[in-house]
Amino acid sequence: MQLELAPRSAPRVLALSFPDLPLQRILREREGGGLLAVVEDGRVAHCTGAARAAGVRPGDGLAEARAACAGLQAIAADPASDRAALRALAEAMLALVPAVEIAPPDALLLDAGAARLTRPREAGDDGETGLADRARRLAAEMGYRARAAVASGRGPARALARYGRGPILRAMPSETARVLAALPLPALDLGPPVEERLQALGVADVGALARMPPETLAHRFGAAGAAAARLARGEDTSPLVPYVPETLPEEAFDLEAPVETAEPILFVLRRLAERVSARIAGRGLGATRLRLTLKLDPRGEERFLLPLARPTSSSQGWLLVLKERLVDLRLPAAVVGLRLAAVEVAAVPEEQLSIGDRPEAALALEAVLSRLAARLGESALFAAEPADRHRPEAAYRPTPFLKPKPRVKDGKGRRGRPAGQGPLDADAVPRGDLVRPTRLLASPRPVVAEGEGGRLTALRVDGRAYAVEALAGPERLRGEWWSEPFDRDYYRARLAGLGDCWIYRDGADGHLYLHGLFD
Amino acid sequence: MAPVTRQAILEDLRERIRRIERRPSHREGFLPSGRPEVDALLPGGGFPRGALSHLAGGPASGKTGLALEILAAALREGGLAAFVDGRGELYPPAAESLGIDLERMLVVRVTGDAATGLWAAEAVLASGAFAAAAIDVPVSRLPAARGEAMLRRVQMAAEKGGAVGLWLGPAEGGRIPAAVRLDLAGAPRPERIRARGQAGPGGGHAA
Repeated sequence: MQLELAPRSAPRVLALSFPDLPLQRILREREGGGLLAVVEDGRVAHCTGAARAAGVRPGDGLAEARAACAGLQAIAADPASDRAALRALAEAMLALVPAVEIAPPDALLLDAGAARLTRPREAGDDGETGLADRARRLAAEMGYRARAAVASGRGPARALARYGRGPILRAMPSETARVLAALPLPALDLGPPVEERLQALGVADVGALARMPPETLAHRFGAAGAAAARLARGEDTSPLVPYVPETLPEEAFDLEAPVETAEPILFVLRRLAERVSARIAGRGLGATRLRLTLKLDPRGEERFLLPLARPTSSSQGWLLVLKERLVDLRLPAAVVGLRLAAVEVAAVPEEQLSIGDRPEAALALEAVLSRLAARLGESALFAAEPADRHRPEAAYRPTPFLKPKPRVKDGKGRRGRPAGQGPLDADAVPRGDLVRPTRLLASPRPVVAEGEGGRLTALRVDGRAYAVEALAGPERLRGEWWSEPFDRDYYRARLAGLGDCWIYRDGADGHLYLHGLFD
Repeated sequence: MAPVTRQAILEDLRERIRRIERRPSHREGFLPSGRPEVDALLPGGGFPRGALSHLAGGPASGKTGLALEILAAALREGGLAAFVDGRGELYPPAAESLGIDLERMLVVRVTGDAATGLWAAEAVLASGAFAAAAIDVPVSRLPAARGEAMLRRVQMAAEKGGAVGLWLGPAEGGRIPAAVRLDLAGAPRPERIRARGQAGPGGGHAA
């Protein structure tokens, strides 16, 4: 039996190309442009518009460039940082598409196969142009200018993005070869040796290469030649190699001059927060802890760890917390740079598009919890959970206050009430019947009993005597013999002028203590 | 700029739905405490939303219990509740006995000074995330002028967030800019509760 495999069709790919990526990367992390050039192997590889106006050209030797422009600031090329920049962009793009491939030195390839599902169809667009537009805008939010092209196959899409004209190009599967034909040969990224030999043969553009007989190319150039010919005809069925992010995102910015007030710092921080949040949002994650590092003038730095109430990638929510932290800040020196990192992340709970349950309240809750946690510390915020302990001060434990689930009306799923903590079958009890006080004193206050003829008449608290109007008890609570044993007889005493108090006689020393108030 | 990421798209859609639905404000009306003898004393039959109510009384006068019952009423309506515990004395087991779903009541335990407690109260009330919040912050040690200014901010926060703000204070003390003042005296007997209503900050006529 012979297995017949359907021919694999070329995937629809959205390629984003970032012209002058090394320069863009440097400029987005500092204020102002000026006379800047990125230098690689002693030659200018990229330069700013101002430097170009002053006579510097890419390809110039450094000495030549400096002769043309005395104030030129030369920065050495840093391919590792450029690659990190592409990774950061890829992370952000994951918010738009299911897979992104990093195509160094300056491009990303996005899976556009499901573009038509991502947005309502507009006139004359099946979603691909819209996707390309959103990707370019997201790149702009990250501080990068990009050119976009949608085509069938990785190679054609990338070639069109890098060498095509216009900010967004779209080639239908049937017209890929025709659109590619006009591009210069380097668009196919064949490598200098192959390109040079082809040019020597009079092959100047992609169209000319596509027209050459494939056998000739295979004969002269081997497998590389055959592959080049297929690419030139727009035949590229290779799948994307998806990028899987590993490190947690961090973004930095250097200020032009040292600043001492919060306002400009917050301005920069807003930008950094948007960039970091875009990167983790792309992974479906939210930050639970941020780290802000302020670079001080002339040296040193201040670091702050900021806990967030719940995993969130909302930069607005982060800014509330960051602002809270910065407002009262006293720094030993002016700030010259900022770095923001998400140092702890967690999956964001899948959000439902339930329209009725006041989502604005959920957002408000997230914001206020983060603000409170930033200023008071995480342990200051909690929801109490009953604990099965007899020692009154240990009868509940703090648990994180989480997003509330929808209330179960029949009461199922509620936490159990430990023994001795009130009736099990009633939701609420009349206040007079409360068995536990509403307030428990952190440290019990000594009480002195006063009586006549063996009858208790008054209790003296903090030096003041209160007549006893009623007394109920005792309720004996004892236990924990294995660690810190306690043995107490509790009474509910109604004291004139004070109200109902919770008093115990300590079995260890025989003394009375005021432990709580039925306030 | 039109939204780009999934989150931004969701927020945008929600905003549009809000506009289409023209939701009624959550800031008006009254929240009955569930205790008829108390609600009968109050103008509107309950505690005003978007305002501060002052529950005044001694250390064991019943003000905390009443506040917890009001929070329980807010929880029964489906909202969230908060207790800003500036003295560190709230005992949650009693709150549960009074009908509070502990999972949905945020306790903010402030260990710092009164100013920090008031800041937390302001943040909680202004957030709009809570239907009701009780505030138990000792302000007697704050300089009078500063305390008054901060309390005014707390009251404005309640107005902004639309929450029922419950200020727990001693029987005697400084002026609290509250819409309602309820004096509780000693044991929880209805006839010993007096309310002063709605005539502006600090209360007006006795009801």
